[in-house]
Amino acid sequence: MWALINRVLDWLKSLFWKEEMELTLVGLQYSGKTTFVNVIASGQFSEDMIPTVGFNMRKITKGNVTIKVWDIGGQPRFRSMWERYCRGVNAIVFMVDSADHEKIEAARNELHNLLEKPQLQGIPVLVLGNKRDLPGALDENGIIQRMNLDLIQDREICCYSISCKERDNIDITLQWLTDHSASKMSQSMGGR
Amino acid sequence: MNFKRDKKEEESGEASNPFGNLEKTTVLQEARAFNDSVINPRKCTMILSKVLYLLNQGEVFGTTEATETFFAITKLFQSKDPILRRMVYLGIKELSHIAEDVIIVTSSLTKDMTGKEDLYRGAAIRALCTITDASMLQALERYLKQAIVDKLPHVSSAALVRSYHLTSGSGELIKRWVSEVQEALNSDNVMVQYHALGVLYHIRKADRLAVTKLVSRLTKSHMKSPFAVSLLIRIAAKLVDEEEKPLDSPFFDFLESCLRHKSELVIFEAAHAIINLKNVTAREINPAVSVLQLFCSSPKPALRFAAVRTLNKVAISHPTSVTNCNVDLENLITDSNRSIATLAITTLLKTGAESSIDRLMKQIASFVSEISDEFKVVVVQAIKSLCLKFPRKHATLMSFLSALLRDEGGLDYKAAIADTIITIIEENPEAKETGLAHLSEFIEDCEHTVLAVRILNLLGKEGPKTKQPSKYIRYIYNRVILEQAPVRAAAVSALAQFAAHCPNLLPNILVLLMRCQMDSDDEVRDRATLYFQLLSSGDRALTNQFILNNLQQSVLALEKALGSYLQGPTDAPFDIKTVALASVTSDELKPTVATPGILKTKPAEPKKAPVKEVSFLDEVSNIPDLARLQLGGLFKTCTKQPLTESETEYVVTSTKHVFSQHLVLQFHVQNTLPDQLLENVKVQLDVPDGFRQVAVVAIPKLPYGTPANAYCVLAWPEDLEVASGATIGATLKFIVKDCDPDTGVPDSDEGYDDEYVLEDVDVNLSDHIFGVTRSNFAAAWEEITTEREETYALSNANTIPEAVKNIVDFLGLHPCDRSDRVPEGKSSHAVALAGVFRGGIEILARAKLVLSDGVNLQLTVRAQDELVAELITASVG
Repeated sequence: MWALINRVLDWLKSLFWKEEMELTLVGLQYSGKTTFVNVIASGQFSEDMIPTVGFNMRKITKGNVTIKVWDIGGQPRFRSMWERYCRGVNAIVFMVDSADHEKIEAARNELHNLLEKPQLQGIPVLVLGNKRDLPGALDENGIIQRMNLDLIQDREICCYSISCKERDNIDITLQWLTDHSASKMSQSMGGR
Repeated sequence: MNFKRDKKEEESGEASNPFGNLEKTTVLQEARAFNDSVINPRKCTMILSKVLYLLNQGEVFGTTEATETFFAITKLFQSKDPILRRMVYLGIKELSHIAEDVIIVTSSLTKDMTGKEDLYRGAAIRALCTITDASMLQALERYLKQAIVDKLPHVSSAALVRSYHLTSGSGELIKRWVSEVQEALNSDNVMVQYHALGVLYHIRKADRLAVTKLVSRLTKSHMKSPFAVSLLIRIAAKLVDEEEKPLDSPFFDFLESCLRHKSELVIFEAAHAIINLKNVTAREINPAVSVLQLFCSSPKPALRFAAVRTLNKVAISHPTSVTNCNVDLENLITDSNRSIATLAITTLLKTGAESSIDRLMKQIASFVSEISDEFKVVVVQAIKSLCLKFPRKHATLMSFLSALLRDEGGLDYKAAIADTIITIIEENPEAKETGLAHLSEFIEDCEHTVLAVRILNLLGKEGPKTKQPSKYIRYIYNRVILEQAPVRAAAVSALAQFAAHCPNLLPNILVLLMRCQMDSDDEVRDRATLYFQLLSSGDRALTNQFILNNLQQSVLALEKALGSYLQGPTDAPFDIKTVALASVTSDELKPTVATPGILKTKPAEPKKAPVKEVSFLDEVSNIPDLARLQLGGLFKTCTKQPLTESETEYVVTSTKHVFSQHLVLQFHVQNTLPDQLLENVKVQLDVPDGFRQVAVVAIPKLPYGTPANAYCVLAWPEDLEVASGATIGATLKFIVKDCDPDTGVPDSDEGYDDEYVLEDVDVNLSDHIFGVTRSNFAAAWEEITTEREETYALSNANTIPEAVKNIVDFLGLHPCDRSDRVPEGKSSHAVALAGVFRGGIEILARAKLVLSDGVNLQLTVRAQDELVAELITASVG
């Protein structure tokens, strides 16, 4: 009964309270960042993509949450600029190509480099291992291990294994993201 | 709302400029709002306007500041507000040259450029092209080509204009877009057509034949856009100018036919082009002038202005053609637009007779206070040319000028008046006393330090030579009491000049200088002390050398020489004779006026002359083989001399650099064959007896299109006569390798030896002599006693001015006291000449010329070295 009333209240709230969140999407080139944005925005998957030169800014509405996504190019020349777009966001999403074992070490270094920046302290991180549909792809535990994610203690960190092509685990990813919108965060902080 | 309010404020007066008191740091602080998670478009637009305002006011942004602001601006891409977005494009464009990593916005701009929002597309193209480099451009090529032929005119125009700007860096790439540009040329939109023609011409302008074809095709097709036709007129006019017989050219007919075009813009452009053609005669100009005459009575002020401005210009070269318009110009004198009235009057002044001057001057005086400084300068310049034309009118004009001097006005304007008065004084000895009187009154109340210093300098130079020098002393000494330090210092120097020239004033001036030694400023005190000591010593030679003669060394070279002297051991005293002398002629070079607009093909040549000596010394120190020789100070650099025809396979010019013990020959070699790579290029000299070759510097590799320098160094012979007249044969020697014309990579490592005979290099007497000015020739003359005299009959000159020119050219000495100007109708004349011989030996010469069946010359030479004096007298004739 209470649950029902709560849901009604939530729905009523969503009519008046539009929620906003801002997140930055980084990761090495060809890991599927722009593809991921397309998939969560319109559900469209395309194999044929061109590298992002610079960044794309997208606004996506899911339920009552509007997500602003800064999708930054992953080529080496843009990596120094990731930090500028990560400052003050609600969450950083780090995309990894879980089927490309050779580049995973470089991805690990870039992630740890980025999280060392003092300005980004405390911002939650979501590591996504994309392309799980490919043979030989690492699962969550594999990624956590290879990316040394257990070393990151100073913030909330989460890891999912997804496939944009098969739309695998996109829903739980979205759930995690909407849970980290500004108001939800303050609620959970207050709850602690 | 915001904008409305601004507008109201603007109307209420300039004082309330909302951006008037902006501080850079505050604005940059405000710009952090761009990083907020919720954007307020109106507020951000305002802040961006402030940033742009600061940038356009010339505020300097550091790289870090600019980069911070740039990245903050990129955050604004999240807002869809169209006004804000367009400001974002402008911000990106303005900051793109200062900030780092600007390619970050490439993707976002590409999206806007190809997106659905038409409003964004044009501006996105402009911004995108400013942030990309040549390597990125290839990825964008497809989009830009599409944009050129886009059906929206503003998109097409934006793409065309950007292509035009890109040709400077990526010309080859843009050339591939010709077919798209051609298509845009057929557009119905007047702007697109104009821009397309601009790009097309820019792509082809290096290829004369292609331009000719383009113009002859377009002159036959009737283009709709008056702007495009105007541009076509400019291109055609340029082609006509380059032709040998311009008036037979079909393009000239085109220009003339455009005088009957239905658009006034085109008519004016055609008339303007015809009038400005080189070597055009009155017959061709007349139709153009009559068109302008019609414009003079047009109801549109812009047309009247354009017409009268053009007539004003042409009045100098073709006064008679413009005389026909005098009636119309008279009507314009009372035009309510003061700029038009000013131009009309100044044109009439140029064409009018001497009798009408008084009336016109009265007209001008009635409204001169109402026109802007810029036009006042036009008036002053017209008066200047008038003074030169009618020297007898100098009294009227001079009093008018002095009235102008007393009015309010900016520095440019006042400087123009002072310039004019100074010119009049120099040209017209009768006007000298009045002119100086006006100027000395002017400095009594002159707020421009630069001008006051200049006038004091002039008074010091000219004042002592007047009938009553003492009356200027009061004006000058008043400056010492009342003005700021730079003016006081100049006044002290001027006083010293008077004292050195006029012995009867000396005791009084010494008293004044003594007082100046108490001045609060270091420079003033130093000058006063120096001059006081020099003058009270009573040593003529000292005063001559340090007061009457100005510094002959080039200041830049002196600074450099002192700098390098201080770096080395300072045991030996500094020798000023090793410093390159300032070339006198370089000051007289008038800066060339570059024609503005789309036809500007090359940037105005930087004025190189004064630093020539310094830059060559830099070059020498960079070449180890030359630096090793310890050449010392450069004495003189002669003008360039071509050693080949200008259109041969290898184009060579030589420049002689004269040092005290050596002659450095610089050979500027250019390879014009794209399929050849030259290696080990050197010049072999046929060294004449007495000279000794000390060094040869070869060019290791000389590819097509990049010229380089080879050098030969000769030691001067002991015998001056041999040194001052020699012919050196020269041959270019090199190894040829055939290569691929596109890449420049040689086909094989094997090359073959080849040589190319060059013209001879001549060494003359004038190469050893550097002309300098002496402000007091007579005093300098008395100082040197070694003298040689000789008389000649000059066979190669028939008039005295011609003979003077020949002597000056031959000896390389510089005429003093304007004695090279020969008054008309005199049968005898004396020229005073001064210079320095290689090694720092001073030379003075007096040449007396008498006209009697040819010209007879008596040349008296005084030099510090007997041999030099003898050499000069021996080589004339």
